[in-house]
Amino acid sequence: MRLQIPLAIILVMGIFTLVTAFIPAKPIADVNQLLRNWYIGIITFFIFLGTFNLARVNINKIKRRRRDWGYSFILLGCLALMLFLGFYKGRASTEEGQPFMYLYFNVQFPLGATMYSLLAFFVTSASFRAFRARNKEALCLLLAAVIIMLGRVPVGTAIWKGFPSVTEWIMNYPNAAAKRGISLGIDLGLISMALRMILGIERSYMQ
Amino acid sequence: MSVIEKLSKLDRRYVFLAVAIAVSLPMFFPLGLPVEVTAPVKQLYDVIEELPERSVVLISIDYDPSGAPELQPATLAILRHCFKRNLRVLVLGMWAPGVPLGMKALDEVAVKEFNKKYGVDYVNFGYRPGGAIFLVNLGRDVHDVCRTDVYGTPVDELPMMRDVHSAKDIALVVTMSMGVPGSDQWIFYYQARYRGKLATAQTAIGAPRYYPYLQTGQLVGLIGGMKGAAEYERLVKTRGFASIGMDSQSAAHMLIIGLVVLGNFIFWMEKRKK
Repeated sequence: MRLQIPLAIILVMGIFTLVTAFIPAKPIADVNQLLRNWYIGIITFFIFLGTFNLARVNINKIKRRRRDWGYSFILLGCLALMLFLGFYKGRASTEEGQPFMYLYFNVQFPLGATMYSLLAFFVTSASFRAFRARNKEALCLLLAAVIIMLGRVPVGTAIWKGFPSVTEWIMNYPNAAAKRGISLGIDLGLISMALRMILGIERSYMQ
Repeated sequence: MSVIEKLSKLDRRYVFLAVAIAVSLPMFFPLGLPVEVTAPVKQLYDVIEELPERSVVLISIDYDPSGAPELQPATLAILRHCFKRNLRVLVLGMWAPGVPLGMKALDEVAVKEFNKKYGVDYVNFGYRPGGAIFLVNLGRDVHDVCRTDVYGTPVDELPMMRDVHSAKDIALVVTMSMGVPGSDQWIFYYQARYRGKLATAQTAIGAPRYYPYLQTGQLVGLIGGMKGAAEYERLVKTRGFASIGMDSQSAAHMLIIGLVVLGNFIFWMEKRKK
């Protein structure tokens, strides 16, 4: 029964959702709307589930003194602090000048931006080590990358006015063609995966 | 050990140092090179220019602080354009950590620069969970999925929302997006269903993915990364963070190109030696 009940729910809901796409009339549309509202309610609980799991994993790490367990202390401390500051004044906590907003803009904002900007350092290092013109195809890719890098910054335009136009051409034709092909492939795969799940053939997500 | 061998085994920390210098120096010694405006950015600008006064533009803050250096300047530039054109702005977001960024942007532009009235000229609905399903519901009935604004005010008490009920009342949606949920969901579940005008601002790394949608008309404009934001700043005649950052980006790109050339030269020399 532990297997059959979830499979039956997926089969019924999957077919029902497909039907609603073709019959947007009452009462099917009303039931569909009700299900959508349920979905939003369930999604909202994922935030609590995520927070709970994060806390559980890190508490276990501290208990068992696993590698880098000290960082888990910092994480749980920050989590508790932000939760407290976010709740203790209700909606007023998110007003300008409140401690929650101060920490958001002066700690979370620069830390988040720093994490993302680290990409620049790694990309540069990787391009120096790995971006080699080993064959004609790699050379072609390398030249396109160089043109796009020049076309995407003002200094490129200062070198040659045509770089932005060539960049736009690369983005609009070779890039768009490749992206379209990849997207079609992915979407066909998604449709087949969805059908496999609805029909109960694909069950790996239940393990 | 020859120079080539030394260079091929260069410690990557020197590369990191070079990046840090290349990015920092232009901040102290700006080059001030002009930014060329590209077609996808100009398209969005033109769409906003052509909207009748008091039309409603929905701006979706679908990013968090990590994407803010690239997307916040675009948000500010679009808000400036909207308020300059006397359009009404509805802000919401599908990323919870992005809510304060939307609030800050509105405070900076709507309140401090344009002295706009909350509830009449702009409304902020804050974080809205549900991703794709939320968008399907939003296009059908805005009041049903946004019952209160970010401050807890019931939607019916907001004068601006009296004539905004569904997708047909929203003239344009601009999603400032860096992942999921974001542009994909807006295209697949909102634009495809309700056929409204949709544009997106993306991080530089995500922008190339959306060119096919620009060609099919599913997107009416595309702002790619900080460069796109700098282009928009130029169009609205302001010099914001994106325009200032362009010099650093120029230097970083030139460094990467230089290193790619150097790397290939080393590779070629080593190959020749063998």
